[in-house]
Amino acid sequence: MMPLPRLDRLGVAFLIITIGAAALAPILALVVPHDSAFAMPPYVVALLGKYMCYAILAVALDLVWGYCGILSLGHSAFFALGGYAMGMYLMRQIGARGVYANPVLPDFMVFLNWKELPVAWWGFHSFAYASLMVMLVPGLLAFAFGWFAFRSRVTGVYLSIITQAMTYALKLAFFRNDFGFGGNNGLTDFKDILGFNVQSDATRAALFSLSALALALSYLISRAIVVSKYGKAVIAIRDAESRVRFLGYRVENYKLFIFVVSAVMAGVAGALYVPQVGIINPSEFDPGNSIEAVIWVAVGGRGTLVGAALGAVAVNFAKTYFTGVFPEYWLYALGGLFVLVTLFLPKGLIGLLNLRRPARPTPPTPTPTPSLAQQEEGAR
Amino acid sequence: MPLARLVAVLFFLCCTTVARADAVDDALAKFFDDKFPRTEQAINELAATGAANAPAILDALGDNRLLIDQADHIIVYKTTGDDLINAKTGEKLDGVDAGAFKKVRINNALRSAIEAAMGALTLANPDPQKRAGAAEAVFETRDASALKALEAQLSHESDPHVAELLRQARAAIVVLDSKTPTADRVAAVATLKARGDQDSQSLIDQVANQSDDPAVKAAALDAKAAIKAHLAWLSVLQNLIYGISAASVLLLAAIGLAITFGVMGVINMAHGEMVMLGAYTTFVVQSALPPSLLQWSLAVALPLAFLVSAIVGVAIERLVIRFLYGRPLETLLATWGVSLILQQAVRSLFGANNRQVSAPNFMSGSFDWAGLQITTGRLWIVALAILVFVALQLALRATPFGLRMRAVTQNRRMAAAMGISTGRIDMLAFALGSGVAGVAGVALSQIDNVSPNLGQGYIIDSFMVVVLGGVGNLWGTLLGATVLGVANKLLEPVIGAVLGKILLLVFIILFIQKRPRGLFALKGRAVEA
Amino acid sequence: MSDETKPELTSSLLYLDGVSVSFDGYKALRGLSLALEPGEMRAIIGPNGAGKTTMMDVITGKTRPDEGEVYFEGRHDLTRLDEAEIAELGVGRKFQKPTVFENHTVNDNLLLAAKAPRSVFATLFGGAAAVERETIERILTTTRLTDQRGRLAGALSHGQKQWLEIGMLLAQDPKLLLVDEPVAGMTDAETAATAELLREIARNHSVVVVEHDMAFVRELGVKVTVLHEGSVLAEGSLDQVSADERVIEVYLGR
Repeated sequence: MMPLPRLDRLGVAFLIITIGAAALAPILALVVPHDSAFAMPPYVVALLGKYMCYAILAVALDLVWGYCGILSLGHSAFFALGGYAMGMYLMRQIGARGVYANPVLPDFMVFLNWKELPVAWWGFHSFAYASLMVMLVPGLLAFAFGWFAFRSRVTGVYLSIITQAMTYALKLAFFRNDFGFGGNNGLTDFKDILGFNVQSDATRAALFSLSALALALSYLISRAIVVSKYGKAVIAIRDAESRVRFLGYRVENYKLFIFVVSAVMAGVAGALYVPQVGIINPSEFDPGNSIEAVIWVAVGGRGTLVGAALGAVAVNFAKTYFTGVFPEYWLYALGGLFVLVTLFLPKGLIGLLNLRRPARPTPPTPTPTPSLAQQEEGAR
Repeated sequence: MPLARLVAVLFFLCCTTVARADAVDDALAKFFDDKFPRTEQAINELAATGAANAPAILDALGDNRLLIDQADHIIVYKTTGDDLINAKTGEKLDGVDAGAFKKVRINNALRSAIEAAMGALTLANPDPQKRAGAAEAVFETRDASALKALEAQLSHESDPHVAELLRQARAAIVVLDSKTPTADRVAAVATLKARGDQDSQSLIDQVANQSDDPAVKAAALDAKAAIKAHLAWLSVLQNLIYGISAASVLLLAAIGLAITFGVMGVINMAHGEMVMLGAYTTFVVQSALPPSLLQWSLAVALPLAFLVSAIVGVAIERLVIRFLYGRPLETLLATWGVSLILQQAVRSLFGANNRQVSAPNFMSGSFDWAGLQITTGRLWIVALAILVFVALQLALRATPFGLRMRAVTQNRRMAAAMGISTGRIDMLAFALGSGVAGVAGVALSQIDNVSPNLGQGYIIDSFMVVVLGGVGNLWGTLLGATVLGVANKLLEPVIGAVLGKILLLVFIILFIQKRPRGLFALKGRAVEA
Repeated sequence: MSDETKPELTSSLLYLDGVSVSFDGYKALRGLSLALEPGEMRAIIGPNGAGKTTMMDVITGKTRPDEGEVYFEGRHDLTRLDEAEIAELGVGRKFQKPTVFENHTVNDNLLLAAKAPRSVFATLFGGAAAVERETIERILTTTRLTDQRGRLAGALSHGQKQWLEIGMLLAQDPKLLLVDEPVAGMTDAETAATAELLREIARNHSVVVVEHDMAFVRELGVKVTVLHEGSVLAEGSLDQVSADERVIEVYLGR
């Protein structure tokens, strides 16, 4: 198997924080008395758990965008597909406790007067099967999509737009009732997961810890990938794709692998997200969500992994704060963030850290990708 | 309805002389007997006179409002406003006690007689449009009792269009009547076949199923096939029209994007918001103009929308995009941020709800053309799209600015080396592209909800058009918009809107395999760094 | 695979016959024919627009010819392979503008170029083998970049980048090297050193050099092919072709 990757100081700190949080949260949420200053109220557990899932999504996105230059606007789709797979498991766990008390069919199917469980729903009563699907469905979609797109050398903004269109098409499909995944309302009213009540404080704390551990694991896997020779080749592809091709590397396979790994990671993030927020609906597919995730990465610093996770937590914390205090200004703030970060902070928050102590620079300087007009240079 | 009819009748009573007064008198006289057979005669005779006040009288009879004073030989009817009107003269009777009169009795048989007579009366109405409407009504009800009136009117009908409708109505009645001679029925089938719409189809179906006359049956079967083919063809044409309409909208939304993308190689994610600003400009113009000038509101809004969006576009280019030159993906992100800000700004200014933008009279409504439904507003948008396309082609082909812009599109460095100020061209291209988006917004305000999210709905489709069409050539954009718009609408009835969209997306992904830079991409020996 | 068993159609290492390429009506190559023997070094000269770069693009699979045959080692039809496949066969290319991976160290640049399995699996799980490390050491010495091995390639001087790129070609250990204007922008001393380096390389590789610099071509002292308007105008030693009247006309104008 792949050896443990060598870690820099930032990586070690990151692992200590995430694993420490995973260990500490259940104690603070469950053991410490509720009136203590250290107690973690349930809503904070849920909120932080959500942030962890976003951070995994950001790490996944950084893997393709920061290291391979693929600005995917399809990651909200992978996230949502993972979430739907988990949601389907949770729906089937409701069993006869639904409004219509049908032991097999979820409520919305009874409501639509369906008689049988659609094939797509088979097997989802099993947690193992659902967990497999959490990874398999986004992975397969990414594989099929990437296989076509990378082979035909769709790059740059073209690729971004096509991934965005894919996400949009999926969103439309999931909005339809006859698509069989709850239509507009999505999947909700979950009761329990592996026999534990989803709403209970203990389950929430456990889900948080799992998410934090998943984040640590995602980081480790991503780090191992980017420091390997494969990772070097991927960075080379980001900076000078055709040169890599002339060295004899099959660029499409390199891109495909990292794209699929990233999609699976996003799917897992979505799967952890759904039981914590209690709902999954088609609006999770919104292409806008993908772009928002990209800005988390940009804020933290692309091509740094740790920065991506940091950015996800920072931006979402700001979002929680803003939408609570002055909701009408949040979009101004978010929009401004997009503009300011791209203009003035190309290396993100991590870049600010590195300014102080010049370490071996890993984050990419935004190499001018030749614009389309330039690429057509010499055209006659 | 009765009230409206009454008002119409009163109007006629005042303005027209009563036709064939004697015949009317004779007919009215029969009411005094108040015997059912006599009353029926009276109804039919009255209808046959075609007198202008006949409908009012018959209407009153049906409602038990026709009153007679057998002693004084006066016949009156009561309006819904309880006024008494002399049926013979149409004068209003004041100070007369309604209690002195007796109602003319009717039964169900008479009621249907009245109904038939009313239909016949409208068939004889002096207004050709009313006659056409009545003929259509008969066609739909296939009321055999109207046959006589139909034939009577047909014998002296002067308007060819109405005559055709009358023939069709007659055909609809006789075609199912086994007592009609074969030749007449076959002719009726032919008439229905010529009409060739859904109603004729179901009628012909009935004939084909029921008729025991072999000649009629054969004719019906033949007509059935012909109508089916005709209808299928018509539905394809109709969808084609919808497709062209959709394509014109796509073209308007995408063509500005194609310009900025072509010249600068960057995707402006705020392009949809330029469209949205154009739509809001239309709203503001309509609110500011006095109602009397509403007809001109769009004409005023077009240049203003161009200006507003162009100015905002230039601001974006100068303040943001300029600094991200050579980093197209960062540009995509930054402009997305701008789009969020613009949406929220419009929401703060105008509220989150949809704003009402009205259509000038000449753009509202729809008409029928050779069996096809055409919406006037959509037709104007197609015209606008063509106009914008031609204007842009001229601007790019025939002006010095266009020449420079094409030069920058094809080879930026070479153009710069030849002394073209590429920064200025970028700015002007952005102004042009954004301005055109504003113009698109004026058009879209007519067919879509004017809300802060307006632009979002079009941006992805516009991107698809540009991806399909390629950059550097507006013909590509035109073709891309047409292909996507028409394919979408042709697929929609077959596999549904969503599946159609997904299928088109798959098609675009496969298409990009073959031509990664679109239909009309510049091709050449690219020196990659 | 089956290519290996095919009988060789020609003994030439590289064989181009009647190759034509056009871009939107412009004919970049018109019936270009060229044969390169194993172990040979060849200089290609020609005015701008003669089709030199397009020829390189065709050989390396970047551009598909409209017509004509391109064979490598007499049995591989290069018109049916893509860049990576052609590179794997043993065709290396150095670009006119030095293209190195600026965000990687000199060492990593050579590591990526070094002859080794190129599959995703191999690069993901395999480290640098001892053989690779040895090769890299050797090339660092040859290209005089040993002191720079830990530096980011982006921080190198122009001449050093050119040498690093030649070093990457060597690490790739191709059977055929295509070198596009290797001395553009170099000082005289660097040019001379580069010529020496190329002659050294030519001892155990076949090389095609495209160059404008006549002094440099003279220094190489090899057979010269003159391209003009997409086809071969003359072939022979530099002295022979410089005496050719058509060549003089093309270069000096009538």
